Amino acid sequence: MSADERWTGGEMLAVAGSLQVHDGDVAVVGLGLPQMAALLAQRTHAPAARLLLEIGVFEPMPTEPSAGIADPRMWRGATAFGTTLEVLGVMAHGGRVSLGLLGALQVDQWGSFNTTEVETDGRRRRFRGSGGGNDISSNAGRIVIVMTHQARKFAETLTFLTSPGRQVGGRSRADLGLPGEGTCAVVTDRCVIALDDHGATLESVHPGEHPDAVLADTPIPLAVPDGGPKETPAPTAAQLAFIRNELDPNGWYTG
Amino acid sequence: MSTRPDRVVSLRELAAGIPDGSHVALAGFAITRNAVAFAHELIRAGTSGLSVTQVFSGMETDLLVAGGAVDRLTYASGSLDRFGLLHAVNRGVATGRLELIEYSGLALALRLHAGALGLPFVTTRSMLGSDLLAPLVAAGQVEQIESPFDGAPCLALPPLRPDFSVVHVDVADRAGNAVVDGPLWSIPETARASRVALLVAEEIVDVGELDPSRVTIPGSLVHAVAHVPRGGHPTAVYGRYDYDAAHLRSYVAAAGEGVEEHDAYLDRFVRGVSTFDEYLALAAA
Repeated sequence: MSADERWTGGEMLAVAGSLQVHDGDVAVVGLGLPQMAALLAQRTHAPAARLLLEIGVFEPMPTEPSAGIADPRMWRGATAFGTTLEVLGVMAHGGRVSLGLLGALQVDQWGSFNTTEVETDGRRRRFRGSGGGNDISSNAGRIVIVMTHQARKFAETLTFLTSPGRQVGGRSRADLGLPGEGTCAVVTDRCVIALDDHGATLESVHPGEHPDAVLADTPIPLAVPDGGPKETPAPTAAQLAFIRNELDPNGWYTG
Repeated sequence: MSTRPDRVVSLRELAAGIPDGSHVALAGFAITRNAVAFAHELIRAGTSGLSVTQVFSGMETDLLVAGGAVDRLTYASGSLDRFGLLHAVNRGVATGRLELIEYSGLALALRLHAGALGLPFVTTRSMLGSDLLAPLVAAGQVEQIESPFDGAPCLALPPLRPDFSVVHVDVADRAGNAVVDGPLWSIPETARASRVALLVAEEIVDVGELDPSRVTIPGSLVHAVAHVPRGGHPTAVYGRYDYDAAHLRSYVAAAGEGVEEHDAYLDRFVRGVSTFDEYLALAAA
């Protein structure tokens, strides 16, 4: 959803997600909305960001929309093809990945997340599983989650903890044996939630959103900064044009 | 004068060599480079009781599960990318008909790597702290240990040695030396880990025609290769053909509808034909 009719919720999400990518990041990118955010960052403020795909693709610069990580369109412009052992192993496990940009079905207040199964009306429904998501979140320098905002996607206890965040069951990453800081942001189509070792904070709400309404739909412990959350920068005309004309002209992900 | 082995067989012979109850590793990834022709042939052969390992499971595994060939699946994930989920797999897990053992992508690739090299075990820090860990520990498939060198927490995983692997390759020579173009995900580990490595090839050439520096899978590891042009349809094969979006959409729609609709798809496109060429003609109609 979007609280501002000048753009869709998906477009706002792609833009806000892209701002989490630093120029120079080495980023492993997941299927769908993470692809949108990463490619937008690459074409705007982070041209030196190097993207990796767990399928074994290094530094792609695709020029047309794709159906996912396994769509050869997503591999265009790559500098090298290799293996999963190279991307998830040598790059991520080897400590060479600064950012994981991933989607989630459900996230907790420490940024641990679920990509495996959800429970509705007492019935479990299976989705994709970990793939490389657990490896990326276990080994990258920091993690950013991008997902659409629904209250049921935030939970203090996850249906299935596929990927660890900043702590699990009161144990820090270091205590668990994991490097990196873990999840540093959860970006949705309504807000940006920042995470540190003290917990989650509602850092900004998107233009047109009211903080109280966002808080009501985010049922995890969530701090509010003194003076309230900021407003997320609105998408620029250039960002919107790139999304609509090149990145996702069919609106598969951002429509 | 030395001679080179000729490992070319028919697709039917390739599938007939897989006994019921075998452990078969498949190497497609979601909607790309799936050994669909091989999966069709196994279903037509009535093969059952398989244990399948596929790191990033896709169309081939979903077909085999729908066709009743699989009792157990070991994977890290399964999907058809944007086209949808693996409905037969997910339904099988929900009803308990399919036993699912799940890892992270790297952990499962590392188990295959250990199997390939004959290592006693392999280690990683992936999966620490996650809910993936407990069922694997309970099943005796993973043990949490401390590094003997610095005491760091880590996991020990045993080698994985499937009975068979099947990889859909671009070009193979008659001795089974094979070229895979594009990204390789867990294809090399999958082929190397199995006791018997089988190939389905888009093209077959004579020994000596391939540049050895381009060979992804050496024929020394390979037992047999079958020639099936477009054998990955409706999944994509890099540099050769795109995925068939319309076919994938209709497959997912049927699979998602329920068991009967999924079975009707198999009756029409798999059991209702006797060769993959007939299927391709039907799919193009």
